[in-house]
Amino acid sequence: MLLAVASAAGCSSPGSTAGEDAPDQETPAVAGGTGEAPDCGTEPVTLDAYFETGFPLPSVLAEEFSTQYPNVTFDIREDQFAVLTQNAPRVLADDPPDLMRLPQVSNLAEDGLLKNLDPYAEAFGWDEWPASQLEQLRVDEEGRRGDGPLYAMGLNYSLTGVFYNKQLAEQIGMTEPPSTLAELDAALQAAKDAGLTPMAQFNGGATGGLAFPLQALMASYGDPAEINDWIFQSEGATIQTPENVEAAEHLQRWVDAGYFADDVNSLDYAMMMSRFIGGESVFIFNGDWESGNLDEQMPGNVGFFLMPPLEEGGTFGAMSAPLTFGIAEGAENADCAAFFLDWVATDEAARTIGVEVGGSHPMGPADAFMPEVDPDTVTAQTLEAGAALGEQDGAMDFIANATGSIYAKGWTPNLQKLVAGEQDPEGLLAAVQAEYETEAGN
Amino acid sequence: MIVSTREAVFGRVLLVVLMVVTVLPFVSLFLTALHPPGTYPAGLAWPDDPHWSNFVLAFQSAGMGRLLLSSVLIVAGVVPLSLLIATLAGFALGHLRPPGGRAIFIAFILGLTLPFEGVIIPLYYQMRDLGLLNTRWAIILPLIGLYMPFAVFWMRAHFVNMPEDLSEAARIDGAGTWVLFWRIHVPLSVPALSSLAILLFLWTWNQFLLAVVLVDDPTKRTMAGALGAFQGQWGTDIPLLCAGSLLILTPTLAVFLIFQRKFVAALLQGSLKG
Amino acid sequence: MTQIDVGSAAGGVGQAGVEAGTQSRRRALRARRLRRGGVAYALIVPAALAYALFVLRPLGLTLQFSFYEWDGITPSTWVGLANYGALLTDPTLFGPILNAFELIVFFSFIPVALGLLTANLIRGIATSRLAVVARTVLFLPQVIPLVAAGIMWSWQLSTNGVVNQILRLVGLDAVTRAWLGDFDTALGAVGVIGAWVLLGLCMLLLLAGMTKIDPALYEAARIDGAGPVREFFAITLPSLRQEVAVCLTVTIIAALASFDIVYISTQGGPGNSTLVPGLEIYYLAFFEREVGMASALAVALMVLVLAVVLPLQWLNRESDR
Repeated sequence: MLLAVASAAGCSSPGSTAGEDAPDQETPAVAGGTGEAPDCGTEPVTLDAYFETGFPLPSVLAEEFSTQYPNVTFDIREDQFAVLTQNAPRVLADDPPDLMRLPQVSNLAEDGLLKNLDPYAEAFGWDEWPASQLEQLRVDEEGRRGDGPLYAMGLNYSLTGVFYNKQLAEQIGMTEPPSTLAELDAALQAAKDAGLTPMAQFNGGATGGLAFPLQALMASYGDPAEINDWIFQSEGATIQTPENVEAAEHLQRWVDAGYFADDVNSLDYAMMMSRFIGGESVFIFNGDWESGNLDEQMPGNVGFFLMPPLEEGGTFGAMSAPLTFGIAEGAENADCAAFFLDWVATDEAARTIGVEVGGSHPMGPADAFMPEVDPDTVTAQTLEAGAALGEQDGAMDFIANATGSIYAKGWTPNLQKLVAGEQDPEGLLAAVQAEYETEAGN
Repeated sequence: MIVSTREAVFGRVLLVVLMVVTVLPFVSLFLTALHPPGTYPAGLAWPDDPHWSNFVLAFQSAGMGRLLLSSVLIVAGVVPLSLLIATLAGFALGHLRPPGGRAIFIAFILGLTLPFEGVIIPLYYQMRDLGLLNTRWAIILPLIGLYMPFAVFWMRAHFVNMPEDLSEAARIDGAGTWVLFWRIHVPLSVPALSSLAILLFLWTWNQFLLAVVLVDDPTKRTMAGALGAFQGQWGTDIPLLCAGSLLILTPTLAVFLIFQRKFVAALLQGSLKG
Repeated sequence: MTQIDVGSAAGGVGQAGVEAGTQSRRRALRARRLRRGGVAYALIVPAALAYALFVLRPLGLTLQFSFYEWDGITPSTWVGLANYGALLTDPTLFGPILNAFELIVFFSFIPVALGLLTANLIRGIATSRLAVVARTVLFLPQVIPLVAAGIMWSWQLSTNGVVNQILRLVGLDAVTRAWLGDFDTALGAVGVIGAWVLLGLCMLLLLAGMTKIDPALYEAARIDGAGPVREFFAITLPSLRQEVAVCLTVTIIAALASFDIVYISTQGGPGNSTLVPGLEIYYLAFFEREVGMASALAVALMVLVLAVVLPLQWLNRESDR
């Protein structure tokens, strides 16, 4: 009976017609190709936008943009990052937004779901900016990142590291940021001894937040460039290097020593923030997108440092990535969306919002306008750290961005298992590498 | 019935304990909803300064009015049409009994145990090809189809139990099938129809999977789907989430309390038959 | 379930006609039935169309997709039974099925066993005002969306939730934990949510069944000197076969096809310890874009449901006769 229905349902194999409708990646139809930079015109435009919950920056920028260009309104939908990551391919294909917060671009670009922004880059002069800013957003034909056409833009350039509660740090005798990993270990132990929770890091539900400290440890033990190669899916790259195993073992020691909160596997991001702001966690691994928020919630009481190297003065790295936004291949108002992205990087008011609300360095030319920042704020510290990182050339993309579902299928479940003692450091990396190969192999 | 007092007392105590366990989550939800927004209240505690405004805040920030309207529209699309076509089919299969009717009926009841996950993938592509993705039709149309096994089963069972004499008498008076159906059978079916209506309303209102997969925009979803999106967006603020959840629960609770006797009877019968 | 067997009653009516009336009347009856047949088919068409379009067609397509590798966008490739092979060998694919079976213990066995026990104890006071109130209250979890149940319980089972608060109150500090974030307890905690939702329904169904048992049976048993335990096994349980079968059917389907509660409370974590087929189908089909694999899992899920539920229906029918 089922077979009868199956044959009645249609003899063609699924997807056989979709090929004809598939967007043609070779010839992006962009007004910018003429050399004239596109804009939003004067007719009423509604930009269909899909943002991440809990981060006000895009919405604040959208509001300012609508003030400057009253013919443009935004229709904004929000979801938490994990949901958004999972939704991305489906939404881009079947309900293409004009502007969308993107997780990982390589698979999306490879599948022709994102608009090739090269013509816009040429029209707006984005290709004259420091090349490193856009490197992570370029995808070649093989789906490898780092080179090839531009498929996304950043709203700013975020940076991750360790935030700490200054009062609590003083209480445990930490007067200045640790300069070696051993000093950080000692500080964590001191916090533990003082009866405090050293790190209420999130690692619950679909969000394996221990990936933050793990990647930081990887950069202390090994070379950030190698980690980037893996993330960009370079030929033969593997996560199972001796240095990474050492880093994972170091993380395991932190788990075993009880440096993370007892309920780390059920903490979500919002709960981590709430505990840190409530003074229930000495340190957290997080990014400068929280700088503005922390300056407001606990003014003068937050410090920031990049993950220290193994030895004093040694090399270090940090996760640093553009806050990635893209335009769907099928977007109705692509020109206006691209104009908005350019405006974010070049308009003074937009750059000020980027720093004050976003807490991170804006994209754009190296000599572009920068707003004044109060040196006592954590925002000032994160901007300074960003400059130091730039000198080191230590910027890495996030290990959760290597493939479309490496975070959900690889890192998150295995990091949760590591915490529960059901996975060892080598097994963790092996499991992630296996998931990576099934996906990158496709 | 012979029951000792000790057993009766024990039964009562047990019943009360069960009721407490059942109600506790509601109480916890309510108390949490009264705490200041953005905090993480610990367990059951009456807040020092109850934030009744959370309900207003949640109502406004979730656009509760639009969510309610959407659910009402979906229910209005699903329930009357399902009732109508299931009644027609149930009447045909249970009363007119055409040749081959039994086979048709069995084909329908095969769908009774079907988990929605079994058809959700093709439904997505079907709705996409029809251009109905992200519209309420994407929920309404499949639900009508998915309810048919139960609804036809239910209505057929009703018509099978209607005495044959009734129709014969009417036919002798010269009534055609159509008149027979509308004048005699439908009025007599009101209890069966209203129970079915209650069940379909409840299942539609609480439908989650279809809403999550087929409609991204929470303002075009069912209440349960909207609540899922609400959690996605406000999961970062527990008191507000609890306030919003309570608001979303209120309509069904209200309908339940108004029609409670009918409701319980319908659900009990529904599961017995299904 | 008796109604199903009445389908052949039409024949019975025909026979009555032979005895009562003449040949011509019989012929007229048959002609009318044929004419009615045409009308009857017409009346069935709308329901059949909706059913065929939104249930049978997708059902067939699910089966068809399961033989392909398809990302939902680019053309697909025929892979035969490869998806089913992977289903049997890849732990992340059959793990959810095992989890679903473990959930049956919580969604099904506990509510039915506890429901039987409590219904038996409450039987004596089934008509009291308290019992009437209880009918309303115990039904509340059935009325609210499962999503709401998931939200309520995630909060109750969290580190600072009511459950831990109560445990601390009675001195069980050692066992407090984040119930949904612990590998050892997460699946059980999800199960408890399901048990909470389904217990009231089972208990009331069983209670309704019990009130239909002839009190004379119990009196006879008491006169014979049977205690409450023997009474339960000798009289109550056998009389409730149909209700028990119904409870098991409904709750087992709820366990195997669970989605809403898990989606809200754990998203399948920690690790994959609470991943269930429904959620995995959703992830595979719509996020990892392995439509073929997802369809194979969907087919497997439907087969499993039928394999578990159909034998129960026979049990149910036996009890009718």
